[in-house]
Amino acid sequence: MLGLKSNAQMKAEFEQLAMPCLDGLYASALRLTHSDRDAEDLVQDAFMRAYRFFDKFERGTNFRAWLFKILTNTFINKYRRQVKERSFSEGSERESVTAQLFSADATETAANPEDHLLDRLLSEEVLQAIDRLPIDFRMVVILADLQEFSYREIAEILDVPVGTVMSRLFRGRKLLQKHLQAYANATPNEGPIDLTEYRSRKNLG
Amino acid sequence: MPCRQLDNHLYPYLDGELVEGDRVEFESHLASCEGCRAEVDRESKMLLLIRTRARQGAVAAPESLRAKLTEQLQGETKRRRYSAVSKLAAAAAGLAVCTVAAHTGWRSYQRKLYVEDAVNRHARAYPLEIEKPSAEQLEAWFNDGKLDHRVAVPRYQNAGLTGGRLINVRDRPAAYIRFAAEGNRRLGLFVYSDKPGDVDVTTEPSVDRSNGFNTVTWRDGDVVYTLVSDLNDDDIRQMVPPLQAPRSAPMLVPASYPH
Repeated sequence: MLGLKSNAQMKAEFEQLAMPCLDGLYASALRLTHSDRDAEDLVQDAFMRAYRFFDKFERGTNFRAWLFKILTNTFINKYRRQVKERSFSEGSERESVTAQLFSADATETAANPEDHLLDRLLSEEVLQAIDRLPIDFRMVVILADLQEFSYREIAEILDVPVGTVMSRLFRGRKLLQKHLQAYANATPNEGPIDLTEYRSRKNLG
Repeated sequence: MPCRQLDNHLYPYLDGELVEGDRVEFESHLASCEGCRAEVDRESKMLLLIRTRARQGAVAAPESLRAKLTEQLQGETKRRRYSAVSKLAAAAAGLAVCTVAAHTGWRSYQRKLYVEDAVNRHARAYPLEIEKPSAEQLEAWFNDGKLDHRVAVPRYQNAGLTGGRLINVRDRPAAYIRFAAEGNRRLGLFVYSDKPGDVDVTTEPSVDRSNGFNTVTWRDGDVVYTLVSDLNDDDIRQMVPPLQAPRSAPMLVPASYPH
């Protein structure tokens, strides 16, 4: 009888902790899988895995981080290979398009401040730009900028040193800005800006 | 601080991940370096933009997913409940096995006690009530209501009947049949009823050793036969007459029941 009661209590406790994380999990899963359906499957897999291992969760520690660790692990183990294979050709194609845009724009400069230009970016474009990041950078950017985890939490979730989190985040964000710049520059009637030049100068330095 | 190190501090600073000392040092650098200040300002706006846009564009988990998860949690919990129940059932089954094992242990202990008692009584050489009967006479004598169970007297080619008497094996009224074999060997056969099935023996004869005697015990329905002798293990096995039900491994027996 005790076993039955603790099962119900366990479920209630899990629901109370996990349900508020559901939107965040789903939003992240969408960025990871690029598909509604895969995102749902991923969240479902991770969610039920978490429930099955809930007795392993150390009470009092960060449940949300624990849940995201399971999500990313599930993604890496189950979905990453498929997604990688499917998006490889798309990704490299897009990359070359981006490269073309950049090479075309980098020759010109404009007086317009870039933030004014970037303000016009749509949410959809920001999310698309995140989606195009290589997976290691994308995971760190998702966890830091979409889920607002600390470096230490991200390190814990991805099972990498904090230093690795910092370097991936740096490169991920810089790449993301590059993608966003490409979107902004592709917007008609807007002159190119000097961000690219600034960045290339900085990269050399 | 050289501006080259800006990259190392930029995001940790903006993310609030710089330790106090580093933060103070970085801020004092920013106060004196316009280039770095502008870059930090630009990056901070960029970060804010990205986070804001990403948040605005974030899609809530579909209601269908939420419902599916609720349902699956319910299912998983139910499954666990069943598994808890089946664990309980397994424990009960385990207990039953233990009980059976304990009972088996008890029954085999009972057999030992009956065998021991039979051996002791045989060794005491009680006086016989009927002497030098034929097998038929002896069966008739036992089976005229003296006992609640039927007694079959084995016919041995190499051992003659000395006689018989009523006796007890522990709490059970029994027939005692004495044979004389070559070399002045005495054999005693105890026949008693074991309706409750307390004695661990089947139609397959079991050989025991007790107080310097060898015994062989077998069962014919509710009736248990224990033959006590000083024959060796192999020889005493051969003293078991064939039962009505055919045995899986036919034994070489120099004995038979009445035709």
